[in-house]
Amino acid sequence: MTFSVLLQSIISGMLVGGVYALIGIGLTIIFGVMRVINFAHGDIMMVGMYLTFFLFTLLGIDPFVSVLITMPLMFLFGALMQKVFINRVLSALPQNQILLTIGLGLIMSNSAMLAFTSDYKILTTSYSSSSYSLGGISISQPLLISFLITCAITVGLYWFLMRTDTGQAIRATAQDREAAQLMGINVKWMSILSFGIGSAMAGTAGALIAPTYYIFPQVGSAFTLKAFVITVLGGMGSIIGATLGGIIIGLVESVSAVTISSEWKDVVVFAIFLLVLLIKPSGLMGKSRL
Amino acid sequence: MKSIHPLTSIRGASAVQIMFGIVIIAALFAFPQFVESPYALHMMILFFLSTLMGSSWNIIGGYTGQYSVGHAAYFGTGAYTTMILLTTKEIPPWQGMWIGMFAAVIVALIVGSICFRLRGPYFVLASIAVAEIVRITALNLTDLTKGAEGILVTDIPPFKIGELLITDFASKVPYYYIALVLALAIILVTWLVQHSKLGYYFQAIREDQDAAHSLGINLTIWKNTPLVISAVFTSLAGSFYAIFIKFIDPTTVLPLDLSVQIVLISIIGGIGTIWGPVVGSLVLVPLSEALRSNVIAQWLINSGMVDAESGTGVFLKEHLAHAHVLIYGILVVVVILFMPEGVMGYVKKLAAKKKGGEA
Repeated sequence: MTFSVLLQSIISGMLVGGVYALIGIGLTIIFGVMRVINFAHGDIMMVGMYLTFFLFTLLGIDPFVSVLITMPLMFLFGALMQKVFINRVLSALPQNQILLTIGLGLIMSNSAMLAFTSDYKILTTSYSSSSYSLGGISISQPLLISFLITCAITVGLYWFLMRTDTGQAIRATAQDREAAQLMGINVKWMSILSFGIGSAMAGTAGALIAPTYYIFPQVGSAFTLKAFVITVLGGMGSIIGATLGGIIIGLVESVSAVTISSEWKDVVVFAIFLLVLLIKPSGLMGKSRL
Repeated sequence: MKSIHPLTSIRGASAVQIMFGIVIIAALFAFPQFVESPYALHMMILFFLSTLMGSSWNIIGGYTGQYSVGHAAYFGTGAYTTMILLTTKEIPPWQGMWIGMFAAVIVALIVGSICFRLRGPYFVLASIAVAEIVRITALNLTDLTKGAEGILVTDIPPFKIGELLITDFASKVPYYYIALVLALAIILVTWLVQHSKLGYYFQAIREDQDAAHSLGINLTIWKNTPLVISAVFTSLAGSFYAIFIKFIDPTTVLPLDLSVQIVLISIIGGIGTIWGPVVGSLVLVPLSEALRSNVIAQWLINSGMVDAESGTGVFLKEHLAHAHVLIYGILVVVVILFMPEGVMGYVKKLAAKKKGGEA
């Protein structure tokens, strides 16, 4: 294996890692504020993928432009899901919370199967297979665009959480729900808001990944697992951790695909996951919460 | 929180209850003598298999409170060991299944050594990760498992003890009896667990593992024991499934979906109870089979609610069969939101309310 192949895989790993980071951030915000592990996260992403697919095939809207539509719609979707379902189990056993989100995920993926069959759909744009060449290394155009959009969204979200009053209220809720409530923060509303944001992040990741990935009803579960690995690696509830975790997992996948084999890359990812759980369950950024 | 039952109330099962039990078991054993429909037998076999899987999980998940969402690993280990031994070494399944159980015990001990250091949601995630590693390994070790292609057998060798032919597996009847015996065995094991010192250890860990530990209960031993019991029976279910369906591949015997379905059988019926998984299977098996075999779509059309020629009718006939897992999703959401103790707990509560209202 030559150096350029390795460099190539590092760069594409970084680019994919950006989108993974977005999925992880969504999961980590939901966990941070509600202490609920969202097992339907990948399925929410799947909904975003189908949304993007149909916006493209029916209305001809470019997948990257459609983020502007997908994001608010998926925000509403998540907010509604929190209000109707998740809100009722906030004080239940963690196992029951997990099972509820598993159930919701099953409903989403099987409804998608009912509506769109389990056929693989492919979203082909004019630039799907085009790439930039840089010193013998090719950079896929759709991956690069999605990476840049991811960076913009992450920075925007970070600014929102750090600099706005609502963002501060969300962070306060994540830090101590009861104390936040005593300070006059409407924690119920913050929960709805953060589930909406988490869902919007997952949906957007779905939109960004749609031009380069197969779209099918069961696509979610693989991404749910990835999201767990990313957030545990980064530290549950830490946004910077999830960003780092996403990029690390993207890199690990792509580098182990060329150094070991693409069939075993997921085993490497899960092995790292187990090691982190055993050695440092709090993750890389364990202490900070949002 | 469930209270731990005192021994006397169980030993003192009334004569009526014992008689009732004997009549039901006798009826189940006589069933194939009166019903010849292969479809009816098939449904009963699926019901027994579901009870076996659900009750196996119930021992580690329900009684010990360790929510493993990776039980497909044991199911798949049993199924693969039996099938690989049968196809490559011509070892008959009733011998292969013991080796499968042994392999599942080893997998369980590895899982235990990794996952039992973790608690709550982290344990759930770790159990999923281990099961996924097993699935991907089975997918990639193509020399041994034939990978995604799967393993198919056409003939199951006749079951002989010495020269005595027990069965040649020509019909569904032998499968019916094997599944029935396995289901009764796991119910008996669950009963024994609930009413023995062993079961008290398990339940103490479920209620508060730190308190249990401080009372001198060795967590390593008493978490791994139920896991091993659970893995052994789940592996048996896998071996049985393999010879019953005669085909296995990683997406049918090792997927995350299967692990989830195994958990849901108990959750829907009522966890940590002997009859919970039985009730769960009674609810789930007919419902998901009705969807799978298009009975529901056909019924909607026949009843005149949906026109067969209309777009909706055609759509239902074509797609409803593919979505039988949907029912699992809807049921688990309903159960978690409205009856967190499962169907069993809900019915008991209703009964208690009625009684209280009358008094």
